[in-house]
Amino acid sequence: MFNTSLFSTLAMLFNFSLRNIVRYRRRNFFLFAAIAVAVGGTTLSNALIRGWQVDMLETAVSGLTGHIKLQAPGFADDPSLQNAFSSLTPISLDDQVPILGFAQRINIPAVISSERETRGVALVGVDPANEGISLYRDFVIEGEDLGGPEDGRLLIGKALAETLQTRVGRRVVVIMEGADGKSRERGYRIAGVFDAPMKVSEELLVFTGLEAMQAALGNAELSAPITEWSLVLQAEEDRGVAQRELAAQHPQLVVKDWREMQPQVAEIVDLVDATMAIWFFLIMSALTFGLVNTLIATVMQRTRELGMLRALGMNQGLLLIQVVMECVGIMVVGVIAGLLLGVAMVFGLGDGIDLSAFSESVEAFGMSTILKPVLTLEDLLLFGGLSVLVGVFASYFPARRALKISPLMAMNR
Amino acid sequence: MTDSQQNNSTTAPVVACQGVQRIYQQDTVPVYALRGADLTINAGEFVSLAGPSGSGKSTLLNVIGGLDGFDAGSVVVGGVDLGGLNAAELAEMRLRNVGFVFQAYNLIPVLTARENVEFILQLQGTPSQERRERANIALQRLGLGDLGDRRPGELSGGQQQRVAIARAIVTEPVLLLADEPTANLDSKTTEELLGLLRDLNQQQGMTIVTATHDPIVMSYTSRQVAMLDGEIHQDSASAG
Repeated sequence: MFNTSLFSTLAMLFNFSLRNIVRYRRRNFFLFAAIAVAVGGTTLSNALIRGWQVDMLETAVSGLTGHIKLQAPGFADDPSLQNAFSSLTPISLDDQVPILGFAQRINIPAVISSERETRGVALVGVDPANEGISLYRDFVIEGEDLGGPEDGRLLIGKALAETLQTRVGRRVVVIMEGADGKSRERGYRIAGVFDAPMKVSEELLVFTGLEAMQAALGNAELSAPITEWSLVLQAEEDRGVAQRELAAQHPQLVVKDWREMQPQVAEIVDLVDATMAIWFFLIMSALTFGLVNTLIATVMQRTRELGMLRALGMNQGLLLIQVVMECVGIMVVGVIAGLLLGVAMVFGLGDGIDLSAFSESVEAFGMSTILKPVLTLEDLLLFGGLSVLVGVFASYFPARRALKISPLMAMNR
Repeated sequence: MTDSQQNNSTTAPVVACQGVQRIYQQDTVPVYALRGADLTINAGEFVSLAGPSGSGKSTLLNVIGGLDGFDAGSVVVGGVDLGGLNAAELAEMRLRNVGFVFQAYNLIPVLTARENVEFILQLQGTPSQERRERANIALQRLGLGDLGDRRPGELSGGQQQRVAIARAIVTEPVLLLADEPTANLDSKTTEELLGLLRDLNQQQGMTIVTATHDPIVMSYTSRQVAMLDGEIHQDSASAG
């Protein structure tokens, strides 16, 4: 049964606590500021770390990997058209798992040569219309994009073009393995040169039309061969369900998710959550020590008043609640101010931090050169909630200390 | 002594102290604040515990009020034996049975006068409507009916002490304890306050015990207990 008397008493203590906070507003202002700066700084730094995590995840998924990829068995060990499957294989997902899109590709190693240089690359046959799910959509193309899956020209990266010392309109030679296992050497004209967010993509990836590539490599045994069917989901959380469903539908194919295809990136993504937790713990520990020190001074300043309340008959439990309530009240105000400060700083960063000066290092971590902070409601609630808990923890010990003094000794101070 | 006081003297005493000792340890030296004090106070008495500094009057007052413990003897207040009570039980006893008036007023500075008086009733679980009514009555009784919304910082010393008295009596305690209640007041305000206490005693039958070294305070009380060196030296009740 709801205890109205207890509720009324707690409401009274809450009112009392609020007034005490206002009473010592000058001292509390500095405490608010310290808490706000700590929480705001943590919010911003964690938003940047979360942004790093999201960026790595997006880069991993969008860089031709997708959330899930279907391949023929043996392709991982021998990436050739001999380990292909037909693009006519009916592949679908339950409507309960919404997808952003899918793309069919041939993706095999090749060697590209100009008059000056030769480089190893991945030759990727695509249908440009389906590549809205990959890094292809972000290409800034000098020259022309591929006209469609039947387009037999090449789209090469800017960094590769510079290495090969070639340009739009020039011809290059590509050597690749055909469906019969024999090397094929063909000349291609460069339709366009793309500028990608990550330089490594420009160096390694060469695109051509899927159907043109199928015709060039030939495979009488398979109709319209592809080496991969890549799927991007609307939500990362659906990955497990989608993978299980596709694996059940197509036991003859290998169904992998991006974590299996890029395990290092997956580990780093997981490490970020641990990093954020450690970072938050360190900041909050430092804040706690400072808080405890200040809150002890705050409580000891009220020792006489607390003694008087006990002398009047207020029991220790209620007194403890009042002191903790007051300390937590200070914490809550500081935390709210800190979260607002953190959010303002995140929005103040606008499009993010430009890390292009460190592009090589950044790309080694699978990141793009613009670090955009990411704020999630879950993170904000977690920071806020844990910060308040820190306040409870920090206030408990000063309160206990104050209550150990006898009412008589407290009033005589 | 009034008729009601005389009648009340035949019922159980409000305070019964027997052989009360209180010893403090000052470094390694024991200090005997009370040396076997015997004191019985009946309902409706207005008693002063008088004596110089160090006589033990405040110590005895605090022991009676359950604010301080004792090392020997027995103390019964309002029928409650304080000897076996723990800190929480003593706090409950104080809340239910004893009203305190301190030398330094000890009002809660962030609460208004009315809220200070209501505070004690809140702790007792009194419903809000009744709390407000009783607080207003107590304040009016002490001539503070128009000052209920002011905070202690906006009141004079005498007004603050009146609020403290209102807070002490609003719960209708068995016993009102006042430790040097007029020490911080001027003579005029002292006389006014003492008049109020005497009215409470004579008209309401409130049992009041005050610790003081002020002869003016003693003159308002109906019984004077003189203390010296932790002992009761003289008691006008046994003398009269």
